[in-house]
Amino acid sequence: MVTITGVIPRPSTYTGLWSWLTTVDHKRIGALYGFSAFFFFIIGGIEAGIMRMQLVTSDNSMVSADWFNAMFTMHGTTMIFMVIMPFGATFFNFLVPLMIGARDVAFPRLNAFSYWTFLFGALLMHAGFLIGQVPDAGWFSYANLTAAPFSEGKGLDFWALSLQVLGVASLAAGFNFVVTIINMRAPGMSLMRMPVFIWMTLVTSILLVLAFPIITVALIELTADRQFGANFFNTAAGGDPILWQHLFWLFGHPEVYILILPAMGVVSEIIPTYSRKPLFGYPVVVFSGIVIAIMSWAVWSHHMFTVGLGPIANSVFTITTMLIAVPTGVKIFNWVGTMWNGSIDLKTPMLMAIGFVALFIVGGLSGVSHAVSPSDFQQQDTYYIVAHIHYVLFGGAIFGIFAGIYYWYPKITGKMYNELLGKIHFWLMFVGMNLTFFPMHYAGLNGMPRRIYTYAEGFGWEGMNLLATIGYFVIVISLLIFIHNFFRSIKKGEEAGHDPWDAPTLEWSISSPPPVYNFAEVPVVRGQDAYWITKREAAARGETVPAEPHVDPSTIHLPSPSYWPLITSFGVVWIAGGLLIDVGWDYIRFPISFVGGIITILGVIGWSLEPPAEEHHEAADHH
Amino acid sequence: MGQLPFAEEDSPNERRAASAPRAVSDIPVNPASDTSPRRLGRRSLVTLALLGGVLFLAALGCDAEAHQSILSSTPWTLDGVGGPVAREQLLLFNVLLWTMVVVFVLVEGALLYAAIRFRRKPGDPLPPQTHGHTPLEIAWTIVPTILILGLGVWSVIVLFKLEPGEAIALAQAEGKEPVRVEAVGHQWWWEFRYEDPLPGDEATKLVTTANEMRVPVNTPIIMDLKSDDVIHSFWIPKLAGKQDVVPTKTNSMWFLAEETGMYYGQCAEFCGTAHAQMKFRVHVMEHAEYKAWVESFAEPAQLSADAARGQLVFLGDGQCVTCHTVGASDVVDPATGEGVQHARMQTFVEYTKWLAKRADERLEDVRTGNEPPTAFAAPNLTDLSCRVTLGAGIVDRNRETLRQWVRDPDSIKPGNRMSELAAIYQTRLDHRADLTEAQLGDLVEYLSAQGPDICLQ
Repeated sequence: MVTITGVIPRPSTYTGLWSWLTTVDHKRIGALYGFSAFFFFIIGGIEAGIMRMQLVTSDNSMVSADWFNAMFTMHGTTMIFMVIMPFGATFFNFLVPLMIGARDVAFPRLNAFSYWTFLFGALLMHAGFLIGQVPDAGWFSYANLTAAPFSEGKGLDFWALSLQVLGVASLAAGFNFVVTIINMRAPGMSLMRMPVFIWMTLVTSILLVLAFPIITVALIELTADRQFGANFFNTAAGGDPILWQHLFWLFGHPEVYILILPAMGVVSEIIPTYSRKPLFGYPVVVFSGIVIAIMSWAVWSHHMFTVGLGPIANSVFTITTMLIAVPTGVKIFNWVGTMWNGSIDLKTPMLMAIGFVALFIVGGLSGVSHAVSPSDFQQQDTYYIVAHIHYVLFGGAIFGIFAGIYYWYPKITGKMYNELLGKIHFWLMFVGMNLTFFPMHYAGLNGMPRRIYTYAEGFGWEGMNLLATIGYFVIVISLLIFIHNFFRSIKKGEEAGHDPWDAPTLEWSISSPPPVYNFAEVPVVRGQDAYWITKREAAARGETVPAEPHVDPSTIHLPSPSYWPLITSFGVVWIAGGLLIDVGWDYIRFPISFVGGIITILGVIGWSLEPPAEEHHEAADHH
Repeated sequence: MGQLPFAEEDSPNERRAASAPRAVSDIPVNPASDTSPRRLGRRSLVTLALLGGVLFLAALGCDAEAHQSILSSTPWTLDGVGGPVAREQLLLFNVLLWTMVVVFVLVEGALLYAAIRFRRKPGDPLPPQTHGHTPLEIAWTIVPTILILGLGVWSVIVLFKLEPGEAIALAQAEGKEPVRVEAVGHQWWWEFRYEDPLPGDEATKLVTTANEMRVPVNTPIIMDLKSDDVIHSFWIPKLAGKQDVVPTKTNSMWFLAEETGMYYGQCAEFCGTAHAQMKFRVHVMEHAEYKAWVESFAEPAQLSADAARGQLVFLGDGQCVTCHTVGASDVVDPATGEGVQHARMQTFVEYTKWLAKRADERLEDVRTGNEPPTAFAAPNLTDLSCRVTLGAGIVDRNRETLRQWVRDPDSIKPGNRMSELAAIYQTRLDHRADLTEAQLGDLVEYLSAQGPDICLQ
């Protein structure tokens, strides 16, 4: 490779703060994603708590209407874009190279760029809190409530521009994982030998790449309206508020599957391991994931049944939405089929995975009940929908995420978590979750609309809301136990060993935590459940498979750290942040934003001219 | 082995390792022999207790009597709703509910059974390494598909019954015409306009009211829904599912109430600050009573001495008349076919644009007389004494609440447009009405006198 001189040399620190700021190691980036997502999980959880306290009884006035509106807007936005999606990215980053037998992702620096852009975008969104400009039009921000004269202040500008930045991060990550999975698999790992988690990552990444441009367009239009006086959604000037809904939900429904498919992948890894059986109907589970992804493009208008699209459109979307339940149901049947006749060990990850299936069934069934549009006319925008979405995203996605955290905890940290505390966490969270969200079905069917900051007495909603608030605190206690378990076990946990679960996938064949180069020798894959094959063949010969030996990392070529992803991300968020500057001259925001553009361009130039680090010896380079 | 065909395809990578076993199950293992049944553990008892708790909750929640409940008192009856539209929706939901309960019990039961029955015991051998079962996969794909398509066809049939055409057909079958009511959503109250409140009658009369609509019993009512500001959603849970109220278009829906009485309605689409307090009521009346209300609408009110002084406040110091109409319907502009409220809404948009200008520019406008007009859309007060609530269905209407509402609207409904826009609330630091208590008392007398005789009794 040609070394270009005269440009800043690459950083070479592998410890300390700088090493984290310049890292391109997929495992470190995964950890950064994980801690950031958990941080925002706490923020989103506090916002949920404020709402639950306000609604604990009728005619409560703990917070004002505007604050409550800001709380549910930020709770939804945070949990979807800054918690569940980055938790997905945590698993993608940490696991994809390990599970496909690679040393890193295809574009390590782009990977770092994704993380920093995500973090800066999320911080920009929350910066609005510091100056009292909090978005308050709902996570869906329906037009024309977002247009002047119905939305004052800069809250919606923070929302639109930060979401745009988060979209850049998601797109970069999506491309990266598509390329990684297509191109970087170990020899022998054909598509139909990939672990289901990898399949679901691939499907999710393709959805990300296809869905985010749509919200990008919608946000550009909203930003044009708000920043430059355009009239996309300004009804007084002939704009169309329904346009926003179509764009938002055409993105928004694939987004729902972007949130849930990674959790389905996690669960598809965990259930076979603890049942000591291969996944039942592997090709069907994979295929149903693909079918869900394709069908997710044909159901968006079920969010708009009451908008007045007419009975023909509503009929079509009723049928397509009901049909998407079939591939989802098939997945559930196959998970039960995997457990059937298995040898089940109810360790915490397995409990979380079973909890996922049990709760997702409830969410799926209530989903069918509002796929039926005439029945949905009554349920739309009530707490029945709130119950449904939380059974799918808390009972589904969050339980799947915790299943994954416990399952791979020994691999990521090298230590074993405390099993008893893990089980207590599961049971408390399971009970708390049902206590919080099950009564919401009844509140909704008793006519309680969602997004109301208060309700009068005499409507029969007090009991349900009190139960939900109690349930919230049960969940909080369970999460405190999790946090304690997580950090205590890092310090004091037992050494986990490289394969504590007798698991089937490649990441368990290397030491825990994995060495920086992942695989000393790139593995050869000879079937589904590759590591089970290796272990059981050895067992048939009466041998045991040792973990890979440690080798000197300097003998293996790895991508070097880089400053440029951080700098480029900083430029990108400056472009957005600059437009939010509101001091003195009204138009000062344009030149300030322009400076961000210059930083971004310089970052990209520096990135592309960056020299490789000091040359390593040819012999160690596996390429 | 239930491998589907496409699992068999070879990839280039695979050929490199062609001699390897295809799957775990190809490796010989000791066959599992342990099939002895295991007793239900303590955990399963906990789970059963949980399930019981859930059912208890279910029993607790069924409250068909609640004002806005869309449930029947039991899942096998269709009581609790007020008309055919809500009943169709309830029937569909109840059938779905039963289907859901059956599927729930079967699938959760299988899951629980598997989790308990197939628990690992120390020393258990590797279980049989099955990979799938094609007939089973086909069965559990096709059975739900058939079930779902059946429900889907039924939903489509119901969907067409909910179209306003059904109301016209229903009325014609009885030789009648449906009553058409126009509902306009405003931030955060409802305007109801009847262009032909007594269809079939010779004399026609425009009736405009706010937040409480009146309809005759057993008559199909078609709602034409419009918005001049943001999206709202019109919902009377006991009578019909919701329909969004969207600026730039007119949506229609219908309902029919089978019994007289008062029904609760609420805006169901988030529409800004006071969304939670954008309610309304539907009074279903006997035909004669409804006819009397229409015919006596906007008859001149008999004013006491206090009320007459109140009228001066209404027209003078209070400047209420700038936005509120009394003793008449809000007229329609013959040129555009739009009501006066529509014009007032345009004023609001202009006014907010003006407010967004820099302070020195606004001052200049005031000096040169270029300020925009300040008449905004506001509830018509003509039949105020017929209404049982104030502030869009949020407090009972009586002289005390009416006085409090005029004095300090924010104390009842934070985020109302009246205290934000009306001039009398802008002069005092505490944002209350700039009127004396005596003036307030007279104004309350005047407003309470608005309405036909049938309501004043």
